Amino acid sequence: MPPDRRLARFSLAERLIHWSVALSFLYAAFTGIGLWSPRLYWVAGIFGGGATVSAWHPLGGLLFALVFALMSSRWHRQMRLDADDRLWLRHGHRFILHEEFGVLESGRFNGGQKALYWMQAASAVILVLSGLVLWFPEVMPRGVRLAAVLLHPVAAVASLTGLIVHVYMGTAAIPGALRSMIEGYVSRGWAATHHPKWYREVTRR
Amino acid sequence: MSGALKAISATPQPGPGATRQTGTVAKLIDTSLCIGCKACEVACQEWNDQPFQVGAYAGTYQTQPDLAPNFWNLIKFNEREQEDGHLLWLMAKYQCMHCADPGCLRACPAPGAIVQYTNGIVDFNSDQCIGCGYCMTGCPFDVPKLNPVTKKVQKCTLCTDRVSVGLEPACIKACPTNCLSFGTRENLLAKAEARVEDLRADGRRGAGIYNPAGVGGTHVLYVLAHADHPENYGLPRDPRIPWTVALWKGPLKWLGNALLAGGVLGAVFHYIRFGPWKTKEEPDDAA
Repeated sequence: MPPDRRLARFSLAERLIHWSVALSFLYAAFTGIGLWSPRLYWVAGIFGGGATVSAWHPLGGLLFALVFALMSSRWHRQMRLDADDRLWLRHGHRFILHEEFGVLESGRFNGGQKALYWMQAASAVILVLSGLVLWFPEVMPRGVRLAAVLLHPVAAVASLTGLIVHVYMGTAAIPGALRSMIEGYVSRGWAATHHPKWYREVTRR
Repeated sequence: MSGALKAISATPQPGPGATRQTGTVAKLIDTSLCIGCKACEVACQEWNDQPFQVGAYAGTYQTQPDLAPNFWNLIKFNEREQEDGHLLWLMAKYQCMHCADPGCLRACPAPGAIVQYTNGIVDFNSDQCIGCGYCMTGCPFDVPKLNPVTKKVQKCTLCTDRVSVGLEPACIKACPTNCLSFGTRENLLAKAEARVEDLRADGRRGAGIYNPAGVGGTHVLYVLAHADHPENYGLPRDPRIPWTVALWKGPLKWLGNALLAGGVLGAVFHYIRFGPWKTKEEPDDAA
């Protein structure tokens, strides 16, 4: 397909921010997973050992918080759910069973992507706040620490589960999606198939 | 050090000594005999080579407000006014309680950083400690303290180095009033019961033993003249492993692992069943 026929989906800034979020999240996730379960402590070994992980995991989390905030400042308006998105979410099972064509509308982001974004944003807020508490145990009040040791892993598991869905959808499940987040472009057919409302919007101009 | 290990932090298997049948040791603190001389504090500092750092003065005889990374043995001086207006001045030595079910060990993510010996002593291994401070949250007695210089958490070892060669802990050795004694836990419980009988006969109707069941019992036992109000001595009334820590290290771990493994498996199965979503070559309105 000639390049001029393709549609710009993600700007350079969006892609750079997305991959900064991805890398900082993965660093925090893998170092965190080493401390999550004794059977996974060897993962901490890959990242420099327990003491290094204990010292740097919070720094990775802080970096994640900063770039996630940057990403949110760009995307949070686009992530608001409209009537089509609510319909999408009510019929999410159809999407999962590949029965959605002609049934579900989708703008630049579909209802599932938006719901995932809000779940990840909520997890990020909980992870960062509880992480700050766990970072400085010697000065934080005991009651707050007791809440943080529970909230931090709960939010971590929630966002990792979300990440598994996100990575699957963005790679194997929807060919072309990963390329759009690397090169920034999608084919017209791709846009019309997966984000028909967005396709109509950008081609109307 | 003191025999085989019974439990090892962040290790799925019990320690190699878990099935051995050995007697356990304990420390008994008879608060009715404490005169607040602080010899135990000094002996602890001396034996463990801990430098004394002048802390905050809070207006009492108490050396400092709380335990510290380099200060593992503190006599708490408690002034309490009773309902009838009488003033109580209660002294109680405070240190690691060496719980039978240690919350610190449960919370620790670093394999081998916290161990429990078959004799009941709970000890920290600094070379395995990663300085995360989770033990401080897991401990219902708020005992472990993070050393800001070494980034290691420290606490009373029950002088495991002395005990392992047949000596009594340094604090016991220094006590001039027999307020402190060391021996098998069984013997000390019997001794404590006899002492409680004496105190009750003396009119101390609230006398009793402090050996909290919520942490499986402790290897530091107290005789309290007012056991009905342990908080008057600065001791928690009903210490137990915090439920958030128990939930986090118990059911949540399994639920989380199941969710993550299920997520990966679910994605693989979905792909095998449905394959990728089809994408149109060209939009329907393509000219």
